Amino acid sequence: MEVSSLPISASQRGKLISAGYTSLSSLSSVSSSDLARGAHNAWDMLHEEESMTRITTSCADLDNILGGGINCKEVTEIGGVPGIGKTQLGIQLAVNVQIPLEFGGLGGKAIYIGNFMVERALQIAEACVEDMSEYNRFLRNDFQACQVKMQPTDILENIFYFRVCTYTEQIALINYLDKFMSEHKDVKIVIIDSITFHFRQDFDDMALRTRVLSGLALKLMKLAKDFSLAVVLLNQVTTKYTGGSFQLTLALGDSWSHSCTNRVILYWNGNERYAYIDKSPSLRSASASYSVTHRGIRNSTSNVKRVKMM
Amino acid sequence: MAPLKSLELEYPIIDVNFQNFCASHAIFSVEDFVLHDLYQLAAFAEQQPTSERLKEGITQVLNIIDNLHQPWLNGLELLEDSLQNKQVLSTGFEGVDLLLQGGLREGQLTELVGPSSSGKTQFCLQTAANVAVKNMGYVAYLDTGNSFSPQRIAHFAGQISESAFNQTKQKIIQKAMSSILCHSVFDIFSMFDVLRQLEFDLRSQMDRGEYRVPLLIVDSISSLISPVLGGSGSQGIDP
Repeated sequence: MEVSSLPISASQRGKLISAGYTSLSSLSSVSSSDLARGAHNAWDMLHEEESMTRITTSCADLDNILGGGINCKEVTEIGGVPGIGKTQLGIQLAVNVQIPLEFGGLGGKAIYIGNFMVERALQIAEACVEDMSEYNRFLRNDFQACQVKMQPTDILENIFYFRVCTYTEQIALINYLDKFMSEHKDVKIVIIDSITFHFRQDFDDMALRTRVLSGLALKLMKLAKDFSLAVVLLNQVTTKYTGGSFQLTLALGDSWSHSCTNRVILYWNGNERYAYIDKSPSLRSASASYSVTHRGIRNSTSNVKRVKMM
Repeated sequence: MAPLKSLELEYPIIDVNFQNFCASHAIFSVEDFVLHDLYQLAAFAEQQPTSERLKEGITQVLNIIDNLHQPWLNGLELLEDSLQNKQVLSTGFEGVDLLLQGGLREGQLTELVGPSSSGKTQFCLQTAANVAVKNMGYVAYLDTGNSFSPQRIAHFAGQISESAFNQTKQKIIQKAMSSILCHSVFDIFSMFDVLRQLEFDLRSQMDRGEYRVPLLIVDSISSLISPVLGGSGSQGIDP
């Protein structure tokens, strides 16, 4: 490509040509090689990652196997049988993302799409504020200035709730989130509860469903990366017939399992609720128990609980 | 594909007469030309009053096409090229290196296939770390699922570098990690952009020889293609 045909001002063009740069390739060999144009090298990314706060789940064991909590810039899928506590976990995360920076949180807002229970959220928010005041009293009783300014209603105000009734609305909403995010830069988590619901019924064309879902997954990945937020997808289970037996597996098929960065499966073990890291590029395979209390997700109180590393 | 008449400006031999002749055989573009039986065309040209000019025109189009494809190489040249210019990159996994007879070969495309959680991403991260630590050049890593984990790379790099002193080990890790360049791509078009840019940069750096990118990893290509692939019938993906 000739410099003379570049869309730059005439004076600049004249200067370039008189200096001897007549073609685009001659220019690019002069400037510092930007193989790294638009890329990051792994060393910088490592430092960025270390300085990123994670979103706590309020259960220390769960946080442990997650490496500190839910990571921003990643898409985490959480799946399990009905009643295991997926929505509870979703609401807990929507509240916990708002924990202010002074208390080790992100101080961000949340977007919740789907099945939101307001009264439960209020309950969890109240418990969160109580916990923060207690932490305050316990550790900082010398500094009277640090009072917990947050009220449970403030917490509810910072959760943006969207309701979708069909899969078309879901797709449209995710497309719209891009614009929403640029107006609300303090949103730090998007929870979709559940990603499967609208896609399991009324879909005759399976190939179309796979295409639509993978397109959706890519958009969510891009959202997570561009705006540095955590995306949490709650998924249902279904039964799969493999090798002569019926197995419980996450819905939406094998192709969907490639669409998330991390995958956590919630299951029952006797009377205990357990979470298991099924897929992750950086977390070890492990399981931990948790419980759902009236204050939200908390550590399990059983005596024989133990974090199992695999 | 370029219509024949667009060549007229640069190659006046491909004049209206020639174009009409070709049109009478349903040849309107360069693609049609290549697909047509050229002997038959030449035989028909013989029968025309302007046969000489027509045959010159045919030769001219064939010349243009010849200049556009890669040069022919014979087997011996290929062998020499592969022995001298194309290195073998060890993956860092002994077993896999054995399977691949040394490792990943430059100039070749290797596809890694497996079900979810089988270790594909870990394989890619380990190989990237291995190539980077052994100083073989830059690694371009295209990530479609935010699964590039610098933490894991640091871990692998630490394992691979054999230095006993912590200080030098840290420097090795830093140098290695600075040569792994990660692009996040979320659709097929941005991937094409990145690849095109990479090609451009490599071509313009070829004579300098400073910037070598012996390894390009895409994790994972199927997530970019599946939204686009599909349509009617069986050519789809198992849900």
